[in-house]
Amino acid sequence: MKRKKTFGDWIFDTINVIIMLIVVFVTLYPFINSLAISLNDADDTVRGGITFYPRVFTLRNYELIFQNKLVYNAYLISIARTIIGIITGLLFTAALAFGMAHSNLKGRRFYTILCIIPMYFGGGLIPYYFLIRSLGLMNSFWVYIIPSLVGIWNMLLMRTYFMGIPSALEESARIDGANYFTVFFRIILPISTPILATIALFIGVGQWNAWFDAYIFITEQSLKPIQSVLLSIISEAQFAQRMAQAAAAQAGPVDVGRVGKGVHVNVRSLTMATMMVTVLPIVMVYPFLQRYFIKGVMIGSLKG
Amino acid sequence: MVGNTVIQPIGIRKRGGINGFVKEFLKQVDLQLLVIPGIIHIIIFSYIPMYGVIMAFQEFRLGDFPGMSEWVGLKHFRYLFTDPNFGLVLRNTIVISLLKLLICFPAPIIFAILINEILNMRFRKTVQTISYLPHFISWVVAGTLMFDFFSVDNGAVNSALLALGIIDRPIHFFGVGEYFWGMAVITDLWKSLGWNAIIYIAAITSIDPDLYEAAEIDGAGRYAKMWHITFKSILPTVILLLIFSVGNLLNANFDQIMVLTNQMTNPKLRAFADVIDTYVYRVGISGNRSSYAAAAGLFKSVINVMLLLTANKIASRTGHEVL
Repeated sequence: MKRKKTFGDWIFDTINVIIMLIVVFVTLYPFINSLAISLNDADDTVRGGITFYPRVFTLRNYELIFQNKLVYNAYLISIARTIIGIITGLLFTAALAFGMAHSNLKGRRFYTILCIIPMYFGGGLIPYYFLIRSLGLMNSFWVYIIPSLVGIWNMLLMRTYFMGIPSALEESARIDGANYFTVFFRIILPISTPILATIALFIGVGQWNAWFDAYIFITEQSLKPIQSVLLSIISEAQFAQRMAQAAAAQAGPVDVGRVGKGVHVNVRSLTMATMMVTVLPIVMVYPFLQRYFIKGVMIGSLKG
Repeated sequence: MVGNTVIQPIGIRKRGGINGFVKEFLKQVDLQLLVIPGIIHIIIFSYIPMYGVIMAFQEFRLGDFPGMSEWVGLKHFRYLFTDPNFGLVLRNTIVISLLKLLICFPAPIIFAILINEILNMRFRKTVQTISYLPHFISWVVAGTLMFDFFSVDNGAVNSALLALGIIDRPIHFFGVGEYFWGMAVITDLWKSLGWNAIIYIAAITSIDPDLYEAAEIDGAGRYAKMWHITFKSILPTVILLLIFSVGNLLNANFDQIMVLTNQMTNPKLRAFADVIDTYVYRVGISGNRSSYAAAAGLFKSVINVMLLLTANKIASRTGHEVL
């Protein structure tokens, strides 16, 4: 761009920067505001006007939610499903992808078609629900793990990666008498850390964020993940809000739903604290995460 | 497969025939053992539900073995098309999806083109990184944030509108049915704008810089270059993603709608927010009308596939790269 900036360019650039700043503000503000509210004294929050930082700093809201056995337990469930989900999902998906990367695989065409069709057509929720039921996965922790052992999209990404590995590497091991298991575990997996990390992140974020499976397949409270707890809290918060509005219509301002024994907590503070701990792991790994994800999207966009 | 010996690609099936296949298969049994668990998984979790859709043509009762219920033909589909509730649900699905297609589809394209015009690399990367963030959170978290952002008491939007004197009393954005379509679009835009722009940004990065120089010599201004080079170069990507979006037209994002409507507890909101997916869930799983709900689900899948194929056909007719 050797051309000199004209007045028109100057206006365009200014407006463009303003648009970008608006995008940044609108994206970040809800997070920052929620963080501020979660760190602010509940009684004080009711007065309103918290924007970017807490006015009366306290960790009380966080103490309260982690004293709650439900939240604590749900957090452990979320961690468990994420870790177990990553390990098992990675293993099964990679094994399938490794095989599918071999052009000499017998039945490869058939397998490929078998994998492609479900990407465009599915049986829908109801038959799936009855499948899970008849597999005995209702109210079982394994409903989080078993149905997601293989991700077809992830498999295609991995397959693309495996196909890019020089075949000489595998052939020399095969000549030395190694079978495909040895090749897979000893040679391919160790040198595939970039793709394994990418897929691990895909699976991990998916597991951490999942709530629908718990919503329909799990009624046992002790098996619910943190997302489910947050979901029920926001439903109740809305309910409390409506009640507060009804009350406000009769008599002046009321603080929203007091919970607990003599402890002043407003539903909003609790919600925000729970929301923050739900999102915390994601925000922590996010800077590392996004680079990998972008790579994944790029490989994916080259068309599987 | 058996006996078909005409023109085989070299080296693929030297021996041919079923015996050859079995022999080759046994030779690579270890490789097959790596593949088969995954294939079985796909058959169980993708194909058994596909087979299960036949319950849409049957009268499924709890305890029935899937697929072994009494056949009732198209009864459930007849109900479906005469059910005024389903009409409403179909309307909501189509309106919400079309609004998203109209607004949430082009927005990332514009965003990508605009971000490409930012010359300060550091600012550009920062904006991009921040814009991805909402993609990584669940709709439950996004819902929590959005409820608070648009909340009646002390929500940022209402506070700002009140302070600016645009409104004189807070608006209950998530409580009024008539607002729901707009809220569905706005929140979806918030969550997906940055992430959906990635693929366009990537496409823009791979444009040959010579093209811009050539255009400049031809006297193209800034806008001309944005249109004729940047946009035209990413057009194949745009078309491809458009085909996918059309193929997903009747999926109005179950997660988002369930969360934003508090699982459909407010009937006034439901009149505007209930979409096929939430309807299937409600009547099928909460309401126990499994066969009827399966029919609704099947209807959706079939329409989606038809839309996908049609869009693909149109795109290929007009000479664009397709699926």
